[in-house]
Amino acid sequence: MPTNAAGASLSSYKYFVTTGTVKFESLESAAYEIPRKRKSRSDSAAAVNLMSGNSLSSPKKLKSHRPCFVSNPRISVKEVMEILRDPVNLVVQKLSDCLGSKSNWNPRDEEQMRAVKEALHVSKAPSTIVCREDEHIRIFGFVKGCIDQQKAGSLYICGCPGTGKSLSMEKVVQQVGDWSTQAGLPPVDTLSVNCTSLTKTTDIFSKILGEIKPGKNANTNSSPLQHLQSLFSQKQASSSSRMMLIIADEMDYLITKNRGVLYDLFLLTTLPFSRCILIGVANAIDLADRFLPKLKSLTCKPMVITFRAYSKDQILRILQERLMVLSYVAFQPKALELCARKVAAASGDMRKALCVCRSALEILEMEVRRSAGPESQGPTTDDSVVRMDHMAAALSKTFKSPVVETIQSLPQHQQIIICAATKAFRGSKKDTTVGELNMLYLEICKSWMISPAGITEFTNMCTVLNDQGILKFGQARGDKPKRVSLRVDESDITFALQEIRFFRNCLV
Amino acid sequence: MGKEIPAEKSLNLIRGRLCDPSFIFGPLSASSDSNYSKLKFIVSTSITEGCNNSILLLGPRGSGKAAVLDLVVGDLLEQFPDSVSVIRLNGLLHSDDNCAFKEIARQLCMEHHLLFSKMASFDENSHFIIAMLRECGLAHKTIIFVLDEFDMFAQGKQRLLYSLLDAMQSVTSQAVVIGISSRLDADQLLEKRVRSRFSHRKILFLPPSRDELDGLLEHLLSLPADSSFPSGYVSRFNDKIKNITSDRRFKDILKTFFNAHSTVNSFLKFIFCAVSLMNLESGLLSLENFKAALSRMQRQPKLEAVRDCSVLELYLLVCMRRLEVKEQNSYNFISVMKEYKAIHDSFQTSDYYAQNVCIRGFEHLRERQVICYAENRGQSQTGEYRPMKLLISASELHQGMRSHACCPAILLKLLDH
Repeated sequence: MPTNAAGASLSSYKYFVTTGTVKFESLESAAYEIPRKRKSRSDSAAAVNLMSGNSLSSPKKLKSHRPCFVSNPRISVKEVMEILRDPVNLVVQKLSDCLGSKSNWNPRDEEQMRAVKEALHVSKAPSTIVCREDEHIRIFGFVKGCIDQQKAGSLYICGCPGTGKSLSMEKVVQQVGDWSTQAGLPPVDTLSVNCTSLTKTTDIFSKILGEIKPGKNANTNSSPLQHLQSLFSQKQASSSSRMMLIIADEMDYLITKNRGVLYDLFLLTTLPFSRCILIGVANAIDLADRFLPKLKSLTCKPMVITFRAYSKDQILRILQERLMVLSYVAFQPKALELCARKVAAASGDMRKALCVCRSALEILEMEVRRSAGPESQGPTTDDSVVRMDHMAAALSKTFKSPVVETIQSLPQHQQIIICAATKAFRGSKKDTTVGELNMLYLEICKSWMISPAGITEFTNMCTVLNDQGILKFGQARGDKPKRVSLRVDESDITFALQEIRFFRNCLV
Repeated sequence: MGKEIPAEKSLNLIRGRLCDPSFIFGPLSASSDSNYSKLKFIVSTSITEGCNNSILLLGPRGSGKAAVLDLVVGDLLEQFPDSVSVIRLNGLLHSDDNCAFKEIARQLCMEHHLLFSKMASFDENSHFIIAMLRECGLAHKTIIFVLDEFDMFAQGKQRLLYSLLDAMQSVTSQAVVIGISSRLDADQLLEKRVRSRFSHRKILFLPPSRDELDGLLEHLLSLPADSSFPSGYVSRFNDKIKNITSDRRFKDILKTFFNAHSTVNSFLKFIFCAVSLMNLESGLLSLENFKAALSRMQRQPKLEAVRDCSVLELYLLVCMRRLEVKEQNSYNFISVMKEYKAIHDSFQTSDYYAQNVCIRGFEHLRERQVICYAENRGQSQTGEYRPMKLLISASELHQGMRSHACCPAILLKLLDH
């Protein structure tokens, strides 16, 4: 639920209410498209554009100069205010409406299954973005301010992976384009660069130059950077005074040893006749502070907007939004809540939540297929939705590391080696040589009266364990003096081997 | 003559089976819970539904990951002849980003009968790949990327992985990325951006259970009752196999084997070795074949080296060991000779040889890698003064001497005290 103060909340509430209704309408219109198994990509891309285009075209009715992402011209402002008086129950009511009016979900129906999976796929961007309204408003406000004043500026967006940064940037670009056409301003050029695709870090300047002066031959006397700098230091002819929005994704790839490229990029916005609005996106919160301390003294430190990791409520809301386009209920609400809770506690990464939901759906699908047989085609009761146990299985598959299972299924001698290593590294010592490990191994074998393997085979087994990532070898010539250390946690090993009495006694 | 031919034929048949992955992994993958069906389900749903996916196959070397993947890909190519294309990369060859992009572009060109230019730059290759992904997405053709040795791609900046996984986040492309790795923590090696884009599906290849292996053994070694073999021979062969597998000693052999090796590949090597030792006269396998195969797989080269030493060489080894025990960690030929003389003086042994004979003994030992020079630096010194060290441990020396044909008892005593 949006929790901020009045001004922002008004527009956000409005947006939320109208979202639901618009979605239902567009659902009916789009419903006939779903049964076609292989709708072409161009069709769906066009449809998405159409929908969002329609919804963005009528913010004129609302007085607030903050944009609304969708609005339904049929609901008048008065109705909105009425509904807004009872906001808390709004979500619940809408959801229960959905649940009540939805047709039944049959997991055997391939079309339905496909539609649900598609709704939950990471690549499918929803037409509206939930839970990021604040950030949107700030970014758009900043860009608008720059365009209004015809001044350059820089902005830095940071956040963990999977928090909706790139998605938000795409929406902002769209928004800016629409707003500038409506307000009658000259169109804003946009350059979206993913810095991982640059061969050299200085290529970004040639790309910017290419946008500003497309088709102009590269001036061989000066580098693109110098060209840009000279361009921005002189007053432009008014015909070419279009603002340019530069979005640099994964900006930390531009960090070089002397930070030259990064500094130059940000300093471009400080030149007197510069027309760039630079938005940098990266993961590190303190990129500006750590790598660009000089910018502060030059008073052109970029504004920083942090995209926090999603909380449990936000994840739940986003999942529900995505599933609301469908006309049937495929997930038990408690299952969704479990997923949201677990993912929020782990990382707050939305991609992971979507992945877990799809995984749970696949577990349900396999279960249904396996039990296919004398059951009738009619939809059954609660059995056919994704329940808590499916979700729990999907969560454990995603979050559990395969180390424990692998250790349990290793042959006995390799388990003894791991046991010897655990005992050796109990204290402060963290690595030892292969020769010493062999001695420990022989001791354990002798105490249990197992005939030990020879040194060659021992070294081979250690190599196998190294390949699997359980042990780690250091560099050394020859086999015996190689340093060995453990890569796996001791508690994992103890847990994995606790069933076997030998190891339990040994590791005690 | 008539008897040999069926024996050879059966040998060829069984050896051929052992080298054919589809024959081996066919029965292992039959159940619906097996890795084969899981993998096939994920990839085929990605193809039919047109959604992107990424999977990681994990397991020790030789557990059949690449073999099962090949089976799945073969089946899918038959099932969907026009809508699947496969690009294969290997982390040992293509871990450099430039190299990898070039290779992907080359394979795409080959698949779609386009002309590939070796001079294309990195930028051009990556634009080409993105354009091809979009084209294939529009045409509903799925591209399957198989990345062998996945953990090698996770070194450095991981640009290739980022580009591939990022391309799969967009709705225009239709691709499946399958990584194969023997490291269990392969996904922890990924950068956090790349890991976030990876869909965390992992299929673990665990060693098969004993029942499965018994079934596999039967399946491999039973001869089919067709007309190419004389009928009496087939039934005798199969009966003998049944006798062997139900013998308790055979079960002990298998147990000793599985205490050290657990993967399918090592089991197949063991069977191959045993089958190759088959007696061609009788044309039937026997328990001794399996015992011999086991001892071959458990060879200890250093032990054999000690067993083959002459008595003088054994003396020299014992002297070196005694010097080590006396905490004299660096010794050379001269000090060993001194010890040798000391032993001779105190115990009046009959084996006392002159210095030049001993030098030759040393050279033999060095050639067999039982001893070596301790450091490689002092090349200018003559061989006699350079420090040396033992390459075998005390227990190996002990064991070797005990199994030696004619080791004098005094040596064992000298070693012990």
